[in-house]
Amino acid sequence: MELCQLSDLQDGEARGFCVPGFLHKVIVVRRHGQAFAYLDACPHYTGGTPMAWKKDAYLNGEGTHLACHSHGALFDIETGRCVLGPCLGQSLQDVPVHVTKHGGIEIAALASSEEEA
Amino acid sequence: MNIIGPDYLVFGVDDIAACTEYLTAFGLKAVDVSDKGGLFEALDGTGIIVRRKDDPGLPAPLPTATMLRQQVYGVRDASDIAAIEAELGKDRKVHRLADGSIETTDDLGFALKFQVTKRRKLEMPAEKINAPGAPAQRKPNELGVWQDMPAKPRTLSHTVLFVPDLDRIAKFYCERLGFVITDVLKGSGPFLRPKACDDHHALFFIGTPEYMKGIEHLAFHMGGPTEFMLAGSRLVKAGYESFWGPGRHIFGSNWFWYFNSPLGTHFEYDADMDKHDGNWVAREAPAGPETAQVFLFQHRDKWFPSG
Ligand code: FES
Ligand SMILES: [Fe+2]
Repeated sequence: MELCQLSDLQDGEARGFCVPGFLHKVIVVRRHGQAFAYLDACPHYTGGTPMAWKKDAYLNGEGTHLACHSHGALFDIETGRCVLGPCLGQSLQDVPVHVTKHGGIEIAALASSEEEA
Repeated sequence: MNIIGPDYLVFGVDDIAACTEYLTAFGLKAVDVSDKGGLFEALDGTGIIVRRKDDPGLPAPLPTATMLRQQVYGVRDASDIAAIEAELGKDRKVHRLADGSIETTDDLGFALKFQVTKRRKLEMPAEKINAPGAPAQRKPNELGVWQDMPAKPRTLSHTVLFVPDLDRIAKFYCERLGFVITDVLKGSGPFLRPKACDDHHALFFIGTPEYMKGIEHLAFHMGGPTEFMLAGSRLVKAGYESFWGPGRHIFGSNWFWYFNSPLGTHFEYDADMDKHDGNWVAREAPAGPETAQVFLFQHRDKWFPSG
């Protein structure tokens, strides 16, 4: 399933998508021309909780990291690993995406079975 | 030591513009706010102070992700400040400022300030309800709700902290500052109220590892369940992220609705919290979904049952 065009996102911009079959939103973030995607589910509390403070506001103020706006956890954009905060050492669940030849960001497969709604 | 409750919570943030947008949407009023930050106040003048995180006027940050930089407690008068200064001066540095307030830290390194309270006395009615068997609270033709009815936070209610040593911190607030434990959620921690505050809690602690140390949430009191629901619905409609609620807690009986924020903590609307006095005997319950709420709902968009 195609979420948006890579060119819809500025470099360093993130956006959240409701994807059929997924319990959580999927965050797509563009960085150095590449697309990375994770579940919008902070690993701090059981079950994973939403991370934005407002629709699509997933980055910290400086735009350097994905952030959970519950308690300020910072995640590396390219690996999803928490580098500071209550889920230190844990990672966001990665969602495999690829860019099609028409420049669309596509979810590779509805891979994660625990995400099947 | 007549501590009344939190006057201000002070944050060091990396995006003043985002915080200004958020705090205003939450219903607080910007007072003297510039690109360096400022005060966002509830109706009684208590509220949130934001500054840039590298602002040299702020107490040092904790080494965690938290953006909380200081808790400012309001006390009744100058003699309370003197009493706190004498007590805490026994084993730590207490710094007196020109305006008579004092700054220090608690036993776990959270920065504190005590001042003669700046809160204004509120004179506003509580939400009025009508129920069979009881005298009507609203006069004939007085409406209970309308779409754009005002729903502003009235006062800063409580702070919840992640702390690495529950016993030590509870002992500090109770033995040194005269707080009282009202209830305990075992596995999370104790609810506390300061002596000059009759709310069920102005402070709650959750035991966590050291690297989580910081603020879990802060809350503002609303005028009743209707204002509370309206304010929360407006935030959701404007695109802000609901975290937990609306629901009603068991300990404290307060309605709760938590939202994420660019200040790295949850902002809670609460309403209709229990009041306690010295006759209250603290309860204990294991922390969990069943003891945290009597019921829980989730917002959905407006709908109408039409063909
Ligand atoms: S829930 Fe994300 S940092 Fe706590
Ligand atoms: Fe609360």
